[in-house]
Amino acid sequence: MSLNRVAALSFLLLPLSLSSLAAQSDAATTLGGYGEVHYVNASGPGTPGQATLRRFVLYVAHSFSDRISMRSEVEIEDARVEAGSPAGEVAIEQLYLDYRLSPALTLRGGLLLPPVGIVNETHEPPTFNGVERPDFDHDVIPTTWREIGVGAAGAVPGLQGLNYRLYLVNGLVAAGFSGDEGIREGRQEGQDAVFANPSLTGRLEYVRPGVRVGGSFWYGGSAAQDPPLGDGTFDNAVGLVSADARLEGGGFALRGVFATVHIADADRINAAYGGQVASRITGGYVEGAYNLLRPLAPHSAQALSAFVRHERYDTQAEVPAGVTRDDALARRYTTIGLTYKPIWNIAVKGDYQLRRNRAHAGEDEVFRLGLGYQF
Amino acid sequence: MLLALAGVMPVRAQDPGPAKVTASVRRLFGAGVRIDSLHADSALVLRLARNDSLLGFARVGNVRGKDQPITWLVAVDPSLRLRDVDILVYREPYGGEVAYEAWRRQFRGKGPDAPLAVGRDIQGISGATISVNAVTLAVRRTMADFAVWRAKGLLR
Repeated sequence: MSLNRVAALSFLLLPLSLSSLAAQSDAATTLGGYGEVHYVNASGPGTPGQATLRRFVLYVAHSFSDRISMRSEVEIEDARVEAGSPAGEVAIEQLYLDYRLSPALTLRGGLLLPPVGIVNETHEPPTFNGVERPDFDHDVIPTTWREIGVGAAGAVPGLQGLNYRLYLVNGLVAAGFSGDEGIREGRQEGQDAVFANPSLTGRLEYVRPGVRVGGSFWYGGSAAQDPPLGDGTFDNAVGLVSADARLEGGGFALRGVFATVHIADADRINAAYGGQVASRITGGYVEGAYNLLRPLAPHSAQALSAFVRHERYDTQAEVPAGVTRDDALARRYTTIGLTYKPIWNIAVKGDYQLRRNRAHAGEDEVFRLGLGYQF
Repeated sequence: MLLALAGVMPVRAQDPGPAKVTASVRRLFGAGVRIDSLHADSALVLRLARNDSLLGFARVGNVRGKDQPITWLVAVDPSLRLRDVDILVYREPYGGEVAYEAWRRQFRGKGPDAPLAVGRDIQGISGATISVNAVTLAVRRTMADFAVWRAKGLLR
């Protein structure tokens, strides 16, 4: 092809690229969101069924330029917030600025989601089975986990399918740790967050059609310069490692997550705050689902998935001296249910959960219905 | 002339631009491909030929992912069989796996009657649901457009 031809060609295509794309390349604001309504009925006396507008989340994104953008989620939990009522919460679930230098490197800063496990980053109701998120994603990986920090994300160059994220964020605060919910209440969630224990969190994942496998970590101190615990950056270090996999194909969907959390000097944390904090928290879940419409209505774009999930985790897998393990915290939850999707971003859910533990204490069953969407 | 045009119109760094489109078309149809344009119902269609033989047609467009446009190219041969789907520009932090060869190659060889539906003849990517559905929808609509234009005798 001659140079003239190339020039003529470029001239031909230039109006195309400008007219068809210029509008979208300008600064633009996008609105999205997700929401879920739950009905929950636990077995046993004095537990009437309850319905809650569990989450209403508005997603607002803005592109300042081709490379610089902002993304945010504003969440209202449990329908309303009223002074003096423990229920309800208004929170910023994430808010960050991205500077996209190349596919391999985006610089990121703001209120970030530690890229740990499956649900923390991908938590819109149609993306998971079951009305509630897995209990594991409450007690072991404390979703929605968000902290303030800076970091980088991108695709590893030369290795198609390999992505990374690496963030430096404010640390956890040990004063909030507990025996039954682990590190959950040690999150700072972007409000006057103590930055005495900068912590590293990251993830490496491999992706191809039908497969996403990842490994994640968190490491950092949690003393928050509280005198009984110390003022070192890595005092009362919390280390978390996690592995997860999502496989899908032929109407089947399988997913699983495993995580273990080590809390150094849990004995000192308990001495300081009188808790029953474990030195190790561990567990995970596996879930299998099958789209029943695949054989029943092969031409349908809808989905009706039957699923079963088994969770096993112990928030006192190992305890420091002075703490007696509570076998009721070694939980074994089995959930069976259906997820109906008339379209991929709407989910109508129902499930039944058997809540067991090693001590067989306070065991019950829970029936749930849910309605969720994202856009 | 190009310089003069570039001076008048702001060319943005992430527009696919002529170079990206021609590179994509050449990769599919070979270096000697001649690219002309034609209008079908006010839409711009690229007509691809070598010497006097027609190789196929292509369209470039945008579809919204979660919050940013995904710029795609869909190329078909003269019988409207899908040659390839290319992702010219992907701008969002998540879901970029739709640009991977392993996912895009599922579209190749699909005819005008293929359902092009995620979970049926197109396998999804866990954690990239929005982008997968957006690009698949764009391809399905483009294939429908091509079918209409061919029936009207506009693709020649």
